[in-house]
Amino acid sequence: MAIVKAQSLTYTYPNAEKPALDDVSFEIQKGEFVILTGPSGCGKTSLCRCLNGLIPHFYQGELKGKILVNKYNIVDHPIHELAKHVGLVFQNPENQLFALSVEKDVAFGLENLGIPRKEMIERVDCALKTAGIEDLAERAPHELSGGQQQRVAIASIIAMNPEILVLDEPTSFLDPLGAKRIFKVIGKLNESMDMTVILVEHRLDLAAKYADHVIVMDKGKIALDGKPRKVLNSDETRMLGVGIPKATRLYQLLDEEKALHSRQVPVTADEMGKLVRGALRA
Amino acid sequence: MSVFDGLKFRRVSSPIHMLDPRIKFLYVCSIFVVAIVFFELLPLLVLFLFQIPFVILARVQREWVRSLRGAAFLASIIFGTNILFRFMYAGYSLTANDIEYASAMTMRFIALVESFSIFFLTTSPDHLGLALEKSHIPYEFCFAFTTAVRFVPVLAEEAQTIMDAQKARGLELEKGNFLKRIRNYIPVLIPLIISAIRRSLELAEAMEARAWGAIEKRTNLYSLKMKRNDYLLVLVSIFVLIIGIFVRFYVSIPTLSNLLGF
Ligand SMILES: Nc1ncnc2c1ncn2[C@@H]1O[C@H](COP(=O)(O)OP(=O)(O)OP(=O)(O)O)[C@@H](O)[C@H]1O
Ligand SMILES: [Mg+2]
Repeated sequence: MAIVKAQSLTYTYPNAEKPALDDVSFEIQKGEFVILTGPSGCGKTSLCRCLNGLIPHFYQGELKGKILVNKYNIVDHPIHELAKHVGLVFQNPENQLFALSVEKDVAFGLENLGIPRKEMIERVDCALKTAGIEDLAERAPHELSGGQQQRVAIASIIAMNPEILVLDEPTSFLDPLGAKRIFKVIGKLNESMDMTVILVEHRLDLAAKYADHVIVMDKGKIALDGKPRKVLNSDETRMLGVGIPKATRLYQLLDEEKALHSRQVPVTADEMGKLVRGALRA
Repeated sequence: MSVFDGLKFRRVSSPIHMLDPRIKFLYVCSIFVVAIVFFELLPLLVLFLFQIPFVILARVQREWVRSLRGAAFLASIIFGTNILFRFMYAGYSLTANDIEYASAMTMRFIALVESFSIFFLTTSPDHLGLALEKSHIPYEFCFAFTTAVRFVPVLAEEAQTIMDAQKARGLELEKGNFLKRIRNYIPVLIPLIISAIRRSLELAEAMEARAWGAIEKRTNLYSLKMKRNDYLLVLVSIFVLIIGIFVRFYVSIPTLSNLLGF
């Protein structure tokens, strides 16, 4: 079942010359883990804004075509209604935390939805645990490091329990280990809670193994759309300057020499390791 | 060092910090009323001493002393003008009573600063926002208040960064006369304002994404419940008020100089 469906979506910011999204069509199935990637300025953030209605309700501008999110046409529903179904974690963690304590921040969305206090406390605790930040509950957001803030931002969206979780470069402030942990948390939400995940990410090395579906954008258009191994292994993706996993790149180089015989393109170091070991033994 | 330094909140857990902020405010109000009905040094001194146990219970002595030191400048101005006024009024002579009156006015100010600093030193901005909400002030204002408090340190840090960056480009802030110095700050202010605007747009976006305005009556993670100590403080506040008013009307207050036999 398609949970997101875009048809010839074209959007131009007010006073902009060129459209930020240009004739974009794609489908995302329920429960998928989607990675959205592409060079800087290609329109990833703009697409995220469409998913919860910030475009067109907050940004105005000109929207053509159609996008259905959870069967809602975003044009007909206010942002706060879409926000119940689509949680969006923004690129900059600092400017999405407003409260004076972490727990209050995580509760913010639930307060807006009028969730009763008792349930709210449970959901806040649960979200803090999922994000691995129980110990920060009473700290002030501005005292936290960028990575910790990013986790708080994620927890505050998790608490709202949306069907679709959209994360716009959630690891931009993190070291590789921190990024790995975040991906693990997101992967778990996708697996065990069946949340549909749309992750905007440049670090495909760490994220690729969770993906069921990769979409590559370029200059406001969809350049490639399909299964991770196929998309990541294509020359087109590499030519766009997308940082494909090193394992995949190594595979391509070795494969030119026909040194490896594998039916499956590796996307992680582990997979590549196995492949090389197999080849050496043969 | 400013008066405001002494009002900065620091997280401590003490019985005073746990009190309901509304009741603490009631207490501040009753101290305020009592302080302004007296013109004599003795009761104002008592009022000042009366609050010291609160400071000790709250374990904020250091900050409290700092707030008093911050207030010292204003206090000496109050003392000075009162003395001057009395001096001229009485035909260029000064009695012990005049000095006592000026001291009383100063003590009144200090007692007020003391009660306000106890309030602000022991009430987290969170609690303050909550108290505002529970006092039926529209939520938008309470939200604006807590968000402003939240972003003060962020903006301060940003201002420092911009200043450093502009200094590195050769901007000299401390140069020239008064007007010139103010003009020097323009290259700092403009980026600061632009960044604040950008920040506020991003904040608005993030609020929308978390269902801001979904329903009329939002709920709250925290609740304020009156506990034993809160009721106790209500009693103390009423007691202070009644004693204060009673003494004002039915007891003749000796001056300190009489008492000491001048
Ligand atoms: N608020 C805005 N107003 C006008 N134009 C905008 C706005 N935000 C983005 N754009 C433009 O839309 C285009 C797509 O930007 P977008 O932020 O969606 O890219 P992105 O893929 O998220 O890039 P990055 O990887 O750098 O975050 C860019 O050309 C950008 O200049
Ligand atoms: Mg972006």
